Amino acid sequence: MKKNLFREKIREKIANDALQIALDGNADRRTTARVNAFAGIPDHKERRQRAHAIRKDIVDHLDDYVQQFKKKVEENGIKVHLAENADEAMQIFMEIAGQHDAHLVAKSKSMVSEEINFNHVLEARGMKPVETDLGEYIVQLRGERPAHIITPAVHLRRHEVGALFHEKLGIPYTEEIPTLTNTARRILRDVFLEADIGLSGINFGVVDTGTLCIVTNEGNGRMVTTIPPVHVALMGMERLLPDMDALSLFLSLLPRSATAQKLTVYTNLINKPRDANENEGPQERHLILLDNGRRRMSKSSLKDSLMCIRCGACLNACPVFREIGGHGYLGTNGSMAPYPGPIGSVVSPGLFGIETFGQLAQASSLCGACKDACPVDIDLPKMLLQIRYGQIQETELKPGHPPEGTALGSPLKLGLSVYRFAATNQKIFSFAQWIGARLSRLVFPIAKWIHMPTWSGWGLSKDIPHPAASSFHKQWGSLEHEEIGSISKLEPISIPEDIGSPRPSMDLKEQFISELEALGGRCVPCKRNQVAEQLQSLISEKNIQRVLVDEFSRSLLESSDLELVRSSDPSCKVGISHAVAGLADTGSLILIGGPAESLSASLLPETHIAILHSRDLLPSLGDVINDEMIREASSAVIISGPSRTADIEMTLTIGVHGPGELIVLLVDD
Amino acid sequence: MVKVLERIGLKVEFPEKQTCCGQPQFNAGLRSESRKMAEYTIRAFENTEGYIIIPSGSCATMIKHGYKELFASDPDMLKRAAHIGERITEFSQFLVDVMKVVDVGASWHGKVAYHPSCHLLRGLDVDQQPRLLLSRVKGIELVDLPHEQDCCGFGGIFSVVQPELSGEMLKRKIHNFEVTTAPTLVLGDTGCLMNIQGGIERQDKPQKVVHIAQILANRDITI
Repeated sequence: MKKNLFREKIREKIANDALQIALDGNADRRTTARVNAFAGIPDHKERRQRAHAIRKDIVDHLDDYVQQFKKKVEENGIKVHLAENADEAMQIFMEIAGQHDAHLVAKSKSMVSEEINFNHVLEARGMKPVETDLGEYIVQLRGERPAHIITPAVHLRRHEVGALFHEKLGIPYTEEIPTLTNTARRILRDVFLEADIGLSGINFGVVDTGTLCIVTNEGNGRMVTTIPPVHVALMGMERLLPDMDALSLFLSLLPRSATAQKLTVYTNLINKPRDANENEGPQERHLILLDNGRRRMSKSSLKDSLMCIRCGACLNACPVFREIGGHGYLGTNGSMAPYPGPIGSVVSPGLFGIETFGQLAQASSLCGACKDACPVDIDLPKMLLQIRYGQIQETELKPGHPPEGTALGSPLKLGLSVYRFAATNQKIFSFAQWIGARLSRLVFPIAKWIHMPTWSGWGLSKDIPHPAASSFHKQWGSLEHEEIGSISKLEPISIPEDIGSPRPSMDLKEQFISELEALGGRCVPCKRNQVAEQLQSLISEKNIQRVLVDEFSRSLLESSDLELVRSSDPSCKVGISHAVAGLADTGSLILIGGPAESLSASLLPETHIAILHSRDLLPSLGDVINDEMIREASSAVIISGPSRTADIEMTLTIGVHGPGELIVLLVDD
Repeated sequence: MVKVLERIGLKVEFPEKQTCCGQPQFNAGLRSESRKMAEYTIRAFENTEGYIIIPSGSCATMIKHGYKELFASDPDMLKRAAHIGERITEFSQFLVDVMKVVDVGASWHGKVAYHPSCHLLRGLDVDQQPRLLLSRVKGIELVDLPHEQDCCGFGGIFSVVQPELSGEMLKRKIHNFEVTTAPTLVLGDTGCLMNIQGGIERQDKPQKVVHIAQILANRDITI
């Protein structure tokens, strides 16, 4: 019999104790946190249905939307390349790299880059791709693929990361997560500064405006799209939203589903390359839109899986993922599925072949926890069943081709056919039950439950009951019936209704401060005529001379004896910039790029001081997302707290690539 | 189940032609085989009237929702399947939502934990109904089952095709049940019942898994 590599891998993963502890922690904490995060928005069910409808419309009209989006992005000055498959995408990238004589590529998280085997292709050409997300950096050092689409190092415990950093980076062995994080920060800082190209994935592309949205907590997503001279974005062509209102809706769902945050620390909105009069941002931006089977899939019965926004909630909720992690999903040839978990068990066969990855669909109890967890209500169990059926392309919906019962062995199929034969004739069915009952009692006369052998599958972990000695069909005729209506006291019922939690009634300022502080930010209230004074006193705490500034803060500090830096100088310890808006419900700041601005000031230094006027406070993102300031800036960022990561054992660590300290000077008008 | 239904004043029929709804084949991906069983089941019930009450969440989900998938490209059968589907109600759902009954005059001695079976919970959206019914049983002490919504690992053919995964999920479920110290686990799906009790027997443990109908039909006051 052919070796079943998938089942061998499953056994190996189940036997790995460290992995099991890591996965248990992930499942328990992520699931509870997600549920709590959604409890904060009472209309989340309605938002989910709106999100479903929006994404369904995109997938139903994929070609049209892709064309519109491409046109808009090009109008904005970003070069767009359509890649039909992985090879073409790599060819396009290599051409761009060739034009710039590029060697070092700083990468932020991109599952599409995994799909097209980006790192291996580059390394084979002698180039150096470096992952900059902490989790991705760890798995790259280990020579692995990410074990989760959001938290790549979910399969590892701190001692494994400590040993890895000791071996590969030469630091003394430590299990201190802040020390490990700092080591990565130090090494990767040079990568950002020296990289020839920054490569990023894309979370959402907005058709109406051509905006590219990237969410990131550590700040690496901002670094690779801001610091290197060339930015190349890789995007699955289906990751589109029609307009900025839709983006606002999805930004209320994606972070909550992925990491239980109201917003990620940095939400980047990129519209175009650096303008001629700007002093930061890449001069050139490219967007590679990847098909790789997506258009074909949009016409198949698996098309709903293209609605996915890659939040990873279905992985965290899945009882199978909890046993094997992302490295356990193997194809028949032993290759690892690029996308793991419930969504991966649908898109992997859908994009890369049912012959190789169809067997993943059988590794599900169809419990539906994935569908429950999905923020866009994708019916994953339905599609797993479709894959088991084997007929996923509408053009193939003919009987007999390909075989039904994907990846099932012939004995099982035969058994189920025999069962069908018996079950479609009640007399045969009863007779078979009668024989079974006699036979099992003959073979196992004493046992109340039958100890099945391990090879039966069932017998590995459980016994099976004897078939009923007398079937219900037999019993029915002689059943002792009850007196009809013997209970007189029937109680009418009232099912308690779920009323949801009431919204707290706070004014915008109070709400903003409380949210900002919950994120680990600090708020310093300040009178209008004291801003310069207050700034100087904050800077004097730091004992430094050089400060990275935008025009607004430069004008405020002009008369001070500080050295005010207007270029993207990474040696400055403090950066000051003004925010164009504040969001009360998430404690966020909105900053834009432009000739008088400095996005670097909120990214490169260890401390970022933001100046926010309380008149610019708004209730939530939806109130500002369509503002011209955001749409016309070359790029904008929504900042929610200091830079953070939880990539090692889900332990929150503040200060990764972006500032570890965020101070908001809230100016009263 | 028949006892309880009769006690609350209903006349129960048992169409003797019925066998199995075809879910095992459907879940295996053998839809041609499943269609034959579905058609047979539809025929077995077509000439009857009234609610069709099923003591198992996943069988009810199959007939109510699965049949629609099965006959998606066969309008005639789809119509017949929809007629049957409209009449399908799971037992606890029928008592609470249709009959508006929560107290069926049952008694049970001791602690009981409730396991919400996946297809009952997510396929039919039935959760409060069995809990309400159980809460009105005399002498019962309903205790919380940790991680109650985790699947028990049955999943039909999954338990045979992926025995290791199924086994691990089952161990977890039994462990969570043991944490409650309740001697009895109650649920509303026959597949989970066989799976969990099978695991308990293999581990040589004394706990029992019972169907909610067994509790609701019990009237002996043994306290």
